[in-house]
Amino acid sequence: MFKNLKISLRLGLSFSFILVFMIVIILVSLNQIKVSRTMFDRIIKTNNVRLQLANNMIDHTREVSINLRNILLLKDSENTLELKNRIDSIRNLYDADIKKLEGLIINDDTMSFAIVAKIKDSHDVSRQLNNKVIDLAMAGKHEEAILLMNQQASKKVAVWITEIDELITHNEDRISMLYLEAEKAQDAARLFMFILGTVAIALAIMISIFLTQSITRPLKISVQTANEIASKDLTGDLTVYEKRGDEFGIMIQSFSKMIENLREQIQRILDGVNVLASSSSEIFASTTQIASGSAETAAAISETTTTVEEVRQAAQLSSQKAKSLSDSAQHVAQVSQSGQKAVNETIDGMNRIREQMEIIAQTVVRLSEQSQSIGGIIASVTDIADQSNLLAVNAAIEAARAGDQGKGFAVVAQEIRNLAEQSKQSTMQVRNILNDVQKATNAAVLATEQGNKAVEAGVKQSVQAGEAIRILTDSSAEAAQVSTQIVASSQQQLVGMDQIGIAMQSINQAGMETSASMTQAEDSAKNLHELGQKLKELVEQFKM
Amino acid sequence: MKKEIRIKLKNRAIAMAQEPEQKRAASAAIGVILFTLAAETYGIESAFVREVYPLRDFTALPGVPPYIFGIINVRGQILPVVDLKKFFNLPEKGLGDLNRVIILYNDQMEFGILADVVNGTKDIEPEDIVTVPATVTGIGEEYLKGVTKERLIVLNAARLLSDKNIVVNDVVT
Repeated sequence: MFKNLKISLRLGLSFSFILVFMIVIILVSLNQIKVSRTMFDRIIKTNNVRLQLANNMIDHTREVSINLRNILLLKDSENTLELKNRIDSIRNLYDADIKKLEGLIINDDTMSFAIVAKIKDSHDVSRQLNNKVIDLAMAGKHEEAILLMNQQASKKVAVWITEIDELITHNEDRISMLYLEAEKAQDAARLFMFILGTVAIALAIMISIFLTQSITRPLKISVQTANEIASKDLTGDLTVYEKRGDEFGIMIQSFSKMIENLREQIQRILDGVNVLASSSSEIFASTTQIASGSAETAAAISETTTTVEEVRQAAQLSSQKAKSLSDSAQHVAQVSQSGQKAVNETIDGMNRIREQMEIIAQTVVRLSEQSQSIGGIIASVTDIADQSNLLAVNAAIEAARAGDQGKGFAVVAQEIRNLAEQSKQSTMQVRNILNDVQKATNAAVLATEQGNKAVEAGVKQSVQAGEAIRILTDSSAEAAQVSTQIVASSQQQLVGMDQIGIAMQSINQAGMETSASMTQAEDSAKNLHELGQKLKELVEQFKM
Repeated sequence: MKKEIRIKLKNRAIAMAQEPEQKRAASAAIGVILFTLAAETYGIESAFVREVYPLRDFTALPGVPPYIFGIINVRGQILPVVDLKKFFNLPEKGLGDLNRVIILYNDQMEFGILADVVNGTKDIEPEDIVTVPATVTGIGEEYLKGVTKERLIVLNAARLLSDKNIVVNDVVT
């Protein structure tokens, strides 16, 4: 609850609280002093005066008594008058005193009033008696006077004085009572002030402790955070304390915001530094490569320069060669023309061969057909031989049936049978031979077909060769033309190569310069790289 | 080469110079027709052979024993043909040519028997024929005349022609 109060308000509240206490204490003590004073006033100004007056009254009474006696004793009329006057003046004093005393009695003091009333009664009675005494004395009746006085007046006066004494005693009692009251009141006031003061002191101590606490704790946190920030530690989290409504809350909020901003900035710086570091290392690598590359380039350029010189010489050579090439190209053109003629003749020859091959194929086919008809003939001959054989057997049977007359016929039949057998064997041989012939003709047919194909391929190839040679002829004519152009071009090339040589010299120089500046750039990149690394180390010291 | 030809010619001359066997033949000689059946050469008396006929067309007959091969037409005459391999229960040794029919006959019976090849005629002396136990050839003893020294099995044609088994008299029910 107090946390959300502003410090000024908190301080103000605390001090005003203490102030209120002080004011209360002061007021109370002032009041107490006033009360005491009135009490002492009453004691001193009223009761003491009353006591004084009462004493005076006793003195006056005694004086009156003394003067009365003197009157009685002297018995002298002159002196008696003088004494009477003196008694009257004393009586006046006494009256004044008693009046004063009556005025000083406080209303609540009923006892005093009662005593004073009794005194008044007594002194009235006494005064009358005394006056009687005086009158008697004046009249010269001293014995009567003395008698009166001894018998009545003196007693009354004694009562009267006793009553005044009573008043005095009463007054003294009151004084002591008042004094006690005053003392009591003072004691109560002292106790009250002591308690109040103690409470005020305790409260003041508590408030001061609380105030100090409420101020120093957030201060401590702030200081700690500030120290952390000073020691590059940005990990602190102050969000818990941000809720305070006072200045410290605001301060901690600003701290928090500051840390946040610092963190963000350092993060950004770190990112930037990382990029810088990587970029610078890349640049460094690149410049190193470029430097070495430019050195290589310089070397290459000087090599190129020498090469260009060589090329120039080569160009000179090639110019000469081109000239001889032109001559030989023309020669080639002539040769290829004669080659074309020869190829045309070859094509004609191949065509003739193809015709011959076709004739051969037809012949072979015919041969094959004829051998097949021979096969048919052989079959019928075999059949005939078979039948002859059978006939011979039957003839032999018939001959056997004829008996002896048929014997000659049996021999003939046997001979016929032998013949049939022989002819059968012959046909078998012919059949074998014919089989061979048929196989051979089949092979021949195949061979002629292959031959035909080969011839056709030959014709095709020779046609292709003719075409190729025609193209060659055209090409060689073109080559002759081109080689003439080459001669001219190589002349120009030679001139160009001279110019390239000069240009290469200047490129060489420029390359050397580039190499030198690249070395410088390399150094710069190295420095940049180191700078980036250092920066990175610096930023990385921050904890986040 | 010339030497071989010479030897060949000499051998041929020796062969030609041989006297024919006929001179030795007495009137008792038996003429036989030689034929091949299932890689075995058989002989049968030519006295009972009417003729040899090529087997061209034949007609199989239903409802007959398996040894009746079928019937053939010989110049207008219908003749039954017997397969001796089945008739004698000889083991089948591959396929034969079976393109000849030897027609047997006597005064009571006439039928043909199948032959692979007819090899010709031969005269055999009766004393050359030796009777052998039936187990040697697998053919019933009654159908054999005997075996010659050249392992020629001579069949008994007369017995075959008079055999009741060949006559089919079954009624198809």
